[in-house]
Amino acid sequence: MDLAQGIVKAAALLGAGLCMGMGALGPGVGEGFVAGKACEGIARSPENASLITRTMLVGQAVSESTGIYSLVISLLLIFST
Amino acid sequence: MAKKKRPMLKIFIIFFVVEALLVVLSGNFSKQIQIGFDKGKFVIRNIEYEYNLQDKITEEFQIDEYFRQTGETPEIYGSEKLYEFFKKVFGEKSAIGSFQLLRMLLIVDLLLLFIALSIRKKLFGRPSKPQILFEMIYTSLEQFVSETLGKDKVHYTPYIVTLFIFIWVSNLIGLIPIPGFMEPTRNLNVPLGLGVFVVAIVHITAIKVKGLWGHLKNYINPVKNPLFLLDIVGEMSKVVSISFRLFGNVLGGAIIILVVSSLVNFVVFPIGLSMFFGIFVGTIQAFVFTMLALTYIGVEITE
Repeated sequence: MDLAQGIVKAAALLGAGLCMGMGALGPGVGEGFVAGKACEGIARSPENASLITRTMLVGQAVSESTGIYSLVISLLLIFST
Repeated sequence: MAKKKRPMLKIFIIFFVVEALLVVLSGNFSKQIQIGFDKGKFVIRNIEYEYNLQDKITEEFQIDEYFRQTGETPEIYGSEKLYEFFKKVFGEKSAIGSFQLLRMLLIVDLLLLFIALSIRKKLFGRPSKPQILFEMIYTSLEQFVSETLGKDKVHYTPYIVTLFIFIWVSNLIGLIPIPGFMEPTRNLNVPLGLGVFVVAIVHITAIKVKGLWGHLKNYINPVKNPLFLLDIVGEMSKVVSISFRLFGNVLGGAIIILVVSSLVNFVVFPIGLSMFFGIFVGTIQAFVFTMLALTYIGVEITE
């Protein structure tokens, strides 16, 4: 591996780490917010708990998708350069 | 009070004894016991292993690339004739990956057929346990469908249930510890195909409900909707978002399991992680996929 390839590999690894770290920020904040709101909703009306839990899981999985995209991109950066 | 049965405790004790036996029999930690199928035979043997984590990950996830780099022909994947056939159909470049993917899809399909036939046999007698489980899945998803689409659109339930059970079994089949087994959803082609079908069914439903012109009006009328190009891009992004979500979750879980098991030298099979990523995430993602498909259909119907 010569110098240019090494620099490219290093930049790709650094970019993968940055991508994963920054991409995990948004889903973390969003999922925590959704879970907190769901707790409030269940505390206010415990008879709707199953509906609220279902909606919460779907919403969390949707808001997680940006994190998943960043995971896919960082895997591409690691394994294809 | 009668003595309470504890099946979970028995299972854990069996796991523990098997793992202790494996650790004792493997001598020192630089060796590994290989259990599984090799060239069609069931083998238990003691092998030295030396591996590179990156090679291992490449072998697991880009199997064509791995065999092209190392230059060896895969022996574990069975018959030569079948492999030649796949080489002829899919080309040299993606023969192995397609072979593995299609084999896993075939296994999943046979499993689903077996489940369906074995439940159907005893349908009219006293309901058995698996029948109760699958009736529960069916009735709960039917309830979701009738809540989302309305009572007169209950005939979408078989499609939704099929989607759910197929993705669920596909995600769970990676738990079986046989070499060469993988989740079919770990390959991007399977979620992409499912996503394309979901969007196609959404548009067919919309055309059925609103008529062909009534549906196309939303997209090709620049006066009423000046941003119609963005809508077309949005339809494309539906496919990408619904399929990459499933694919990324399954692939990420598999990579995390592989990395953690290599940290503990593959001695202790990380059951907890497998349970979390296989059962919990697999079920949640199958559920989310079907829910999103249902929501996409529901948006087109109610408008």
